[in-house]
Amino acid sequence: MSGRISTIAKQTFKAAFNNGATIALTLLLGLSLCLATYIGWQNFKMQNNQRLHYKALVRAQWLAKPDKHPHRMAHYGYLAFREKHELSFFDFGIESFAGVSIFLEAHKQNTVNFSEAGFTNGMLSFGEISVAMVLQLLVPLLIIFLGYNSISAERESGTLKILLCQDVSWKQLLWGKTIGIIGICLSIFIPLILLTILLWASLSNWQISMDSALRLLLLVLSYAIYFFVISAITVLVSAFARSSKSALITLLACWIFFMVIMPRITQAVGVKIYPAPSKIEFADAIAADVHQQGDSHDPNDPHYAAIKDSLLKVYAVDDVKKLPFNYGGYIMAEGEKITSKIYTKHQDKLNNIFEKQNSITTITGFLNPYLSLKNISMALTSSDFNTYVDFQQQAENYRYQLAQKMNKLQIEKISNIKPGDEDKPLAISKSNWAEQPDFNYHFKKLDTVLSNELLALSALTFWLLVTVISLHYSTKRIKTI
Amino acid sequence: MHMKKNRYHLEFKLFFRNSSSWIGIFILLITGFAGQYFGKTFIARQQAVIEKAATLQKKNTLNNIDHFGNDIGLLFFHNKFTLANVPDHWAAFANGQRDINPYLISVTMLALEGQLYDTDINNPVSLLLGNMDLSFVFIFLFPLVIIAFTYNLLSEQKESGIWSLLKAQTNQSFQIIWQKFLVRVVVIFSVALLLLVIAMLYLALPPDLTFLSVTVLVLLYLTFWFAVSFFIISLGKSSNFNASALIAVWVLLCIVIPASFNLFLTRKYPVPEALQNVINQREGYHEKWDMAKDVTMKPFFKHYPQLKKYPFPEKKTFSWYWYYAMQQMGDDQAMASRLAIDKKLARRQHFTSIFALFFPTIQTQLGVNKIAGSDLDTHLEFQQAVRKYHEQIRLHFYPAIFLNQSVNDTDIKDYKMEKYTRQQIPNVWTNMLSISLLTMVMIGATVFNLKKDSI
Repeated sequence: MSGRISTIAKQTFKAAFNNGATIALTLLLGLSLCLATYIGWQNFKMQNNQRLHYKALVRAQWLAKPDKHPHRMAHYGYLAFREKHELSFFDFGIESFAGVSIFLEAHKQNTVNFSEAGFTNGMLSFGEISVAMVLQLLVPLLIIFLGYNSISAERESGTLKILLCQDVSWKQLLWGKTIGIIGICLSIFIPLILLTILLWASLSNWQISMDSALRLLLLVLSYAIYFFVISAITVLVSAFARSSKSALITLLACWIFFMVIMPRITQAVGVKIYPAPSKIEFADAIAADVHQQGDSHDPNDPHYAAIKDSLLKVYAVDDVKKLPFNYGGYIMAEGEKITSKIYTKHQDKLNNIFEKQNSITTITGFLNPYLSLKNISMALTSSDFNTYVDFQQQAENYRYQLAQKMNKLQIEKISNIKPGDEDKPLAISKSNWAEQPDFNYHFKKLDTVLSNELLALSALTFWLLVTVISLHYSTKRIKTI
Repeated sequence: MHMKKNRYHLEFKLFFRNSSSWIGIFILLITGFAGQYFGKTFIARQQAVIEKAATLQKKNTLNNIDHFGNDIGLLFFHNKFTLANVPDHWAAFANGQRDINPYLISVTMLALEGQLYDTDINNPVSLLLGNMDLSFVFIFLFPLVIIAFTYNLLSEQKESGIWSLLKAQTNQSFQIIWQKFLVRVVVIFSVALLLLVIAMLYLALPPDLTFLSVTVLVLLYLTFWFAVSFFIISLGKSSNFNASALIAVWVLLCIVIPASFNLFLTRKYPVPEALQNVINQREGYHEKWDMAKDVTMKPFFKHYPQLKKYPFPEKKTFSWYWYYAMQQMGDDQAMASRLAIDKKLARRQHFTSIFALFFPTIQTQLGVNKIAGSDLDTHLEFQQAVRKYHEQIRLHFYPAIFLNQSVNDTDIKDYKMEKYTRQQIPNVWTNMLSISLLTMVMIGATVFNLKKDSI
């Protein structure tokens, strides 16, 4: 049985390469893949080097700041740059649409600015070519061109009847054809993966982390499943179609609908069902909450008045100036704690809305294998929404720690007596600045990534099962003539 | 003459008898309506937010006066002024970059370069997957239906054996193909015009010269695709070859070439100047805290000699006068890097516009974005308007701050949210011309083909 399947597979593979057009198409795809890999890699290197360059500059400037008041340093703040994952040259995901730098300062949460998209003129709406894009969009097209007549042509030429008479079962025929077509895809996919591994290994100076190796392995596996699903669907459509022509037209129409139209519509629907607040509404809601919690600028505010009273009581003094620590710093630390908590609450709520918007597209993965693979691929290459949110969170944590560190220095080291209008400003030694560590983004580990992508993973598994079952059991419904 | 009319009548009948014709028309209409609906929803949301921003501007100003009213320097440290890039009616037709670039910019009187590039809060996945609007339907989906309607015009006749019969019976066999083709042109153009007329009503597009030029641009673009299709037909190959070749052309023109170009553009014109600009602005301001006041005030008075007449409190450790002058230094010292960004973006633009001359898909998209005011140029002009507005506010309130006047003596309460609208709607002559020329080339190649082997 398996011998027959492999014979048919080999036959399909050979026949395809007898066709000049197939070779041309395959070569073209392989070439564009190599190009995408190379330029993608170069872009990655250039952009990451830029970010690392400015990261080092920001650190050096921070350390070089002279003696000054710690609150000045809190306002001087820090610039954090979003680093790219080493595998992101494979799939750009949302890279170009997400900001690159964020200014972290006391009291204020800023946006991540300077996305690549902000610099382009509408061109980006056409997409960006990457290895992932070629594999996700163009390889299926190649599969369609290779396989639309795999069964129907045999039927049209009459060889189908002969085959079936010769004791070849439908099941063997379908599996053989499918495997043959995948073979052709793999003949460009495998060298490419080897190239990718080489590039990636050289990118990371031949020091490959286990986490990344596993990511790549899963990536390869997911794409292989995807190709299998598309090939099987193509062969099945060819088997069920009235003619080669109708098979081709059906497959092309599906390709366009599922890969070009559907993603836009599902996302537009998600945005419509779960509207996100605009920036001003978001800021206004935070301001309202902060106002309700207490206003550190208002000397008569009940929350801060209570703190003041209890401090005076504990230290048994009648004026905040007599406290053994810097009162202003203490109040600012309290204010930072409150506002940061409120901000985080609202930001989490916002991210939750975005997640719900995206969930429509993710769930559609059960109708559309392309969408499920796209999500998996972005997650494994850390170019997805979750990684971006994670960056924002790590940056906000860093911002909070920096602000509180400076508040602490102020509380401990700055005199409680304000200098006069014309006196020298209070300052602490610059040696304190080094205590604040540099900002380093840490990518999430693979297990977290996978647990985030359960839905997309099960969608792809669902597709694998559906196609395997169809290849096995739909054979009774196919007409021979 | 009469007979010809009859034949067209018959071809129309034949065309509409085919269910796939109706499916094609139906898909275009449905996606056309969906595109208009989502495009309009997207823009209506922006309009609603702009209205809300106007009320919030008033509310926040009053709040700030309430909180910081006794310290004018502190009030202007906190108070924001808003400029809105009001969407044109056409923005609903082509959302373009309006999702990526902020349409509301709120800035305080502090250094502008640190505030101007703040983005909106966006879902990056939505940005990645793109907007659904009517221009998408025209640019991406219409060509596909054109391909579906025309790819087998000749090959089907040949494959069913009718062609040889026809050739034997009449010497005008080619006329019949041509008539079938024209019927499809008429149908597609009618659907396109119908969608445009509906858009005119639904999206409230004024029936003016702009409407006419968009219509012409769209029809020219569709004509280009008919020309491509006719060229492939004229090769006289099989239906399957035609379908594959046409889809391949579509994939190349609509996806692969623009997408590769993007990658190339990022590679050739990276914009590290933007990151440098942030650093320059930040250092330019912050370093002044640790320097003699002269270092700030000399260049400040050089920039604004007219402000010299307000006495600077030299002896005070801190004054708002000094503070705002330091902020100004942030902007002044970021001037070179800011101009470098502008220059780099201009080079990108220039390169893109030359490249687009050869690709009707890009040309049409850029053309409609330009008309809709949802392109990068409009955003850069909007940023420029914010700069002007910011400068005007600075010069207006600097004296009051420097003289430490009472907030009540200023007219800050009169400051409302300002709206930015374009001065003039750009023309798209170049876009039309380039598409027409490319269409002509296609037609020329087709005629050459037909003459060569006179099918």
